[in-house]
Amino acid sequence: MNHAEAEELLGAYALDALPEDEARRVEEHLRSCAEHRAMAAELRRTSGLLPLTVGEGDPSPELRARIVEAVKATPRELAPSPATEPARGVSPVPLRRIARMPSWASRASRLAVAAAIVIALGAGGLIGYQLGHATQTQVAYTFQGDATAAPGAEARMVYFKDRKQAVVAVNGLPHLGAGQVYEMWLIKNGVPVDKGISSNPSGDVGAQISGDLSQFQQFAITIEPGEQQLPTTKPILVGNLQSG
Amino acid sequence: MSGEPRDQDSQMAAQLKRGESTAIESLYDRYGRLAYGLAFRILNDRGAAEDVVQDAFVSVWRNAAGFDTGRGSLRNWLLSIVRNRAIDRLRGGARTRNELQLEAVEPTAEMPDVWQAVASDLERKQIQEGFRELPDAQRKTLELAYFGGYTHVEIASRMQVPLGTVKSRMRIGLEKMRTFLEARGVMA
Repeated sequence: MNHAEAEELLGAYALDALPEDEARRVEEHLRSCAEHRAMAAELRRTSGLLPLTVGEGDPSPELRARIVEAVKATPRELAPSPATEPARGVSPVPLRRIARMPSWASRASRLAVAAAIVIALGAGGLIGYQLGHATQTQVAYTFQGDATAAPGAEARMVYFKDRKQAVVAVNGLPHLGAGQVYEMWLIKNGVPVDKGISSNPSGDVGAQISGDLSQFQQFAITIEPGEQQLPTTKPILVGNLQSG
Repeated sequence: MSGEPRDQDSQMAAQLKRGESTAIESLYDRYGRLAYGLAFRILNDRGAAEDVVQDAFVSVWRNAAGFDTGRGSLRNWLLSIVRNRAIDRLRGGARTRNELQLEAVEPTAEMPDVWQAVASDLERKQIQEGFRELPDAQRKTLELAYFGGYTHVEIASRMQVPLGTVKSRMRIGLEKMRTFLEARGVMA
């Protein structure tokens, strides 16, 4: 899609009036065009005001009660998962050698990969990029948090095959306690490899991961008391990287 | 433009993220009629509109942990969810958009969210006026797109005009509204 074509479509894009494939092509263009990203954002701000042109309505009095009931029946976000005694600061604690693979590895492989969901990435230029399928050069993944340890958490990863780099965005992880970090792992034949940490306390993580993902079977996140060589806790999120 | 609505919205967002369900009641008391008005405008059916509003509030509750308060207002997010679910119901499709994504339309975090400044009735009247002031064809185009969920191709067919005309009207209509509102201090 060239510059002029994209510009013509920005209004329709801001109004959500493009069919799926055209919207994807506009988003593809926006990833590399700062000028149009700014224009699109301006147009979106305005279209976002259109609900206010309507004015308030008059719902039935029972609606409020129905919503309250429905919310009560809907699972809430859990409090942050309990941790081992956290270390002060972020300096690594002495390593614990794990003699054999933790039992969670096989449990992890039974978790299913969820349907594709988009998560905005705060850095790296992927905001608004709608992911849905693998192409020649990219593979997109979505993973859900563990139903008990991280309900509602979602991770979205795009792996760029030619660059052997992946970009990950995670939302909704349980919040970190003092001194804790989220640690990311790629798992190869049952062995987790440290792929970096994040200490953002709010439960959102944006990161780049280097590696040939075709060599790994799973991606996982644990909460650790500082960067570890091997995980010391059960993963709060696991996903399968290979189909089947 | 008072700071009060922003604080209340931020407070509600914080309460929701902490899992306090009473915040949903506050959110409903504040924006329920607006949410319903929007849903009804799209669906023109009381029962369907109420269903959509209920689903939207539940979605806000379920996804609150992932809502980034730095990116925009709770109200904007809620109404985006209402609008999309209403359109889905109207058009019989399912838009494959994560509702957490709906908020993140600005490419930069420092873009101020318009809604924070848009709280009072006066400002709403100005937005309504700005919309009314648009040339009929532009306004109709925006209505069909935003409240009807039609694509640009469908609108071209309905209005019996070339596709290029529809695309222009969409962009120019939005730009005209922005200019109108900027001149009145509703948008920065």
